[in-house]
Amino acid sequence: MSNIMSQSTAVIVMNIRSLPRRLWMSLAMVFASAVVVAILLAFLAMAKGFEATMQSAGSDDIAFFMRTGSAAELNSSASKEQVNLIENAPGIIKDEQGQLVSPELYVIVDGVKKSTQQEANIPLRGLSQRGVDMRKGFTLMAGRMFTPGTDELIVGAGILREFDGFDLGQEIHFGKYTWKVVGVFSTGGNVFESELWADAKVIQNLYNRGSSYQTVRARIGSPDDIAAINDYLKSEPRLTHEVQTESAYFATQGKSLEYMAIFGWVISSIMALGALAGALNTMYTSVSDRAMEIATLRAIGFSSMSAFIGTMVEAMTLAVLGSLVGALVAFIFFDGLNASTLGGSFTQVVFSFQLTSDLFVKGITMALVIGFISGVFPAWRAARVPVIVAFQSAR
Amino acid sequence: MKDLYLVYKNLTRKKMRLFLTTFAIFIAFLIFGAIMTLRGALNSGVEMSADNRLVVVHKTNFTNPLPYSYVNKTQAIEGVKQVTHANWFGGYYQEPANQVVTFAVDPESYLEVYPELVVEPTQRNAWLNNQASVLVGERIALANGWKVGDSIPLSSNIFSHKDGGQTWDFVIAGIFSGAEEKTDTSYVLFHYKYFNETQSWGGDNIGWLIITTLDPSMNESVAKAIDSNFANSNAETDTSTEQAFNKAFIEQIGNIGLIIFGVVFMAFFTILIVVGNTMVLAIRERTAEIAVLKTLGFESMRIFKMVLIESCLLAFLGGLLGLGAAYLLIQVASEYLARFLPNLVLDQSILLQALGYMLLLGLVTGIAPAISALRLNIITAFNRG
Amino acid sequence: MSSQNLFELSQVAKRFTKGKETISIFHDLNMQIKEGDFLAIMGPSGSGKTTLLNLLGGVDQPTEGQITFDGQRIDNLSEGQLAKWRANNIGFIFQFYNLMPMLNAARNVELPLLLTNMSRSERKQQVKVALELVGLSDRASHMPSEMSGGQQQRVAIARAVVSDPKFLLCDEPTGDLDRQTADEILQTLQLLNEKFGKTIVMVTHDPSAAKFAKHTVHLNKGEFVKAEELLV
Repeated sequence: MSNIMSQSTAVIVMNIRSLPRRLWMSLAMVFASAVVVAILLAFLAMAKGFEATMQSAGSDDIAFFMRTGSAAELNSSASKEQVNLIENAPGIIKDEQGQLVSPELYVIVDGVKKSTQQEANIPLRGLSQRGVDMRKGFTLMAGRMFTPGTDELIVGAGILREFDGFDLGQEIHFGKYTWKVVGVFSTGGNVFESELWADAKVIQNLYNRGSSYQTVRARIGSPDDIAAINDYLKSEPRLTHEVQTESAYFATQGKSLEYMAIFGWVISSIMALGALAGALNTMYTSVSDRAMEIATLRAIGFSSMSAFIGTMVEAMTLAVLGSLVGALVAFIFFDGLNASTLGGSFTQVVFSFQLTSDLFVKGITMALVIGFISGVFPAWRAARVPVIVAFQSAR
Repeated sequence: MKDLYLVYKNLTRKKMRLFLTTFAIFIAFLIFGAIMTLRGALNSGVEMSADNRLVVVHKTNFTNPLPYSYVNKTQAIEGVKQVTHANWFGGYYQEPANQVVTFAVDPESYLEVYPELVVEPTQRNAWLNNQASVLVGERIALANGWKVGDSIPLSSNIFSHKDGGQTWDFVIAGIFSGAEEKTDTSYVLFHYKYFNETQSWGGDNIGWLIITTLDPSMNESVAKAIDSNFANSNAETDTSTEQAFNKAFIEQIGNIGLIIFGVVFMAFFTILIVVGNTMVLAIRERTAEIAVLKTLGFESMRIFKMVLIESCLLAFLGGLLGLGAAYLLIQVASEYLARFLPNLVLDQSILLQALGYMLLLGLVTGIAPAISALRLNIITAFNRG
Repeated sequence: MSSQNLFELSQVAKRFTKGKETISIFHDLNMQIKEGDFLAIMGPSGSGKTTLLNLLGGVDQPTEGQITFDGQRIDNLSEGQLAKWRANNIGFIFQFYNLMPMLNAARNVELPLLLTNMSRSERKQQVKVALELVGLSDRASHMPSEMSGGQQQRVAIARAVVSDPKFLLCDEPTGDLDRQTADEILQTLQLLNEKFGKTIVMVTHDPSAAKFAKHTVHLNKGEFVKAEELLV
């Protein structure tokens, strides 16, 4: 065994020494492997970033009420009467001012995207101070909170980043109504930052909603309370709503870019096939280039196993080298890249790409697979180079 | 071409390498064909839009409703030829995940404004005469296995039926097809009047107006006239050409679309670079042989051409196979994606672009070795032994 | 032998510049090769054998002096003109045969005919004759890798004569072969010289190969030793 090890080490060293002879072929293989990994990571980081933006918005201790079948906040509705009924649901925590409940409105307005200078959908959320308090990680980065009953609003940091015209102090026109930006808020990077917030009562008034709302959030002690609330909803014929934890709702919304991850896997797998063809060419060239050396070593007693291992190691090394380059490139270009797209509620979600360590592992695994397949067949050929080649003329 | 046999023999001398190289080019053009077609499908709304159609939406956002009275008010504006309207129904079939794009429209005027929707006259009449019937697009019918005469329940994730629940029962009166291959037929139409009477929300609202102008040159003035007509009302409007509206809608997908296509094109070019490198090296290996041919009296230009023809043949071999595979893939995927995307068509412009890239690949990979063959000094190439 | 000169080299000089150094191979070389001759050129390495061969073969040009072939000057031809001249007048035989590995014997022999206006059937006929001449008719469809060194060199000879050039140029034609095979090859060359009137120049360092030639000249440091032998 140690014999094989020392033989293989000798072969590996020789292979690496002879690499400059095949510089361009080897670089092509490194390059191909790098791009496959970079592309895979780009897609995965996109899906990951979007998912994280959604998921981190949801809390386990908030019950989220939507009209059954509405699928997204935009489509839901809840009359004043229904909101009152929901307040009476079991398990909702109270404080001195009563139940911790936030009935909210969700309307869509146009904003001009910085990247395209085209109008895109932005959510304008109507809520009260109670609702604001339910958002974990909420901080005012600049300015102040909107004053209830006025046409003031605060903008999320994501909106400020991706859209024109929402700077602090600016006036905004939606239709014939004018709003004033009085504050900029952050919620730690999650989806709420892609929103505009204003007083719910003002929006009811301006958008002819009377006294009705769309969704309701309520603070609960633990996610286990959901079951009891559900029973209550079913027993109350005037309610047409369903309940889930807020985190469950956003987890579903976060999955809407999952097709990106799937698309990324498909594209990079197909690409990997193409890269594999290039890599196999490299390795076959390497074996025929070294046939004489391999045969000479075999003639003086090296085992065919060492020729096999030497070639495998060369292939794996080149592939992994490529994957490291690819991962680095992906990290430089894609990690933290700001993007925005249409989310489940038909509005823009601002998010950033996230390259996490588990994604790197996936990328390197991909490269190892390429390296293995592109190594194993040429290595098999290397192991079977006949000894007689050593005695043939150099030509 | 007496030399074609030589070219052919050069190309096929190493079967494994020929296979691997062809395969890599095959993959590159498979990706290219598929992605370009996908992009074409996403942009088909822009491409297929009529040049005299305008879309009128609420100024705040197109999801905000407009009063029904705007239909007649708009009709009265000079330069407007026809007016029709639509409401977003938020439809799904059986499962919320199985979305069916459904519009409540004024049947007669809608079909007039959209002449590219082709319906058999008997089916057309059946739909016009039955308020509780739907006209179904060919692709969405295919996706759900619907036939004329079927009864289908369509649910809404926005509206409630005034009899309770959120499901409407419809009869399929007809199936419309597109005048052109790229015309979108993946949606369902039903009567606005029926919608307005049966939904519980009430309110005589419409989603948006679609109008045609007497002449495309009047588009701008008509749009201005409409918007100023409704200025300072409770529902101000924003009028744009159908093309601009569809383009803005597509761009909502945002820069991730840009990033995706950018990344995929990078993939395409990477494969070409890797393959090109292999091809260059493959011809470099033959320096000694080229020297022999030159010594025998083959002129440099002739060898130059042979090398270029060889690299182009290889590029077209892999490329055309890849494009063919993309075509087949798209036939299958198109059916599978019927409810998400309009028809996937690998059209002439994609074909031409692909052919251009194949030629480019052949020339670029061939030119370096061809030039070195051209310049090859026989004496130095030779005396190496 | 009263036949006329096929090749005439007069006052030929050849210099190479390598970096800053100028290496002079010949400074004043004069030589005549008569039509129908079979001339062996011998000499140690560095004597200028290969350069002379390149000049005679029209793959290199002299720095000074004149080279005429069949009364026509070739030292001032362009590269393209030289290629045509080689195709029409010279058959090459190399030490390592230089067959195209992906072509079979017949296709290899056919190569020079691709440079003519012959029809396909004419080419086939010529190839057949050439292969018969070297005794390899039965190997027409074999690939070079399936043949022995001697057989490959015969294919190379067939390729050299297939377009019926006046002049054959051989560079160590037996350098890679065993004695017996080498002798067979040299006999074939003799046959081509005597029966078919080909003028042959052969560069070799093997004295027993040189014995097959009609004359032998020795080259040393760019000059002929015992130049009077040329006059015999």
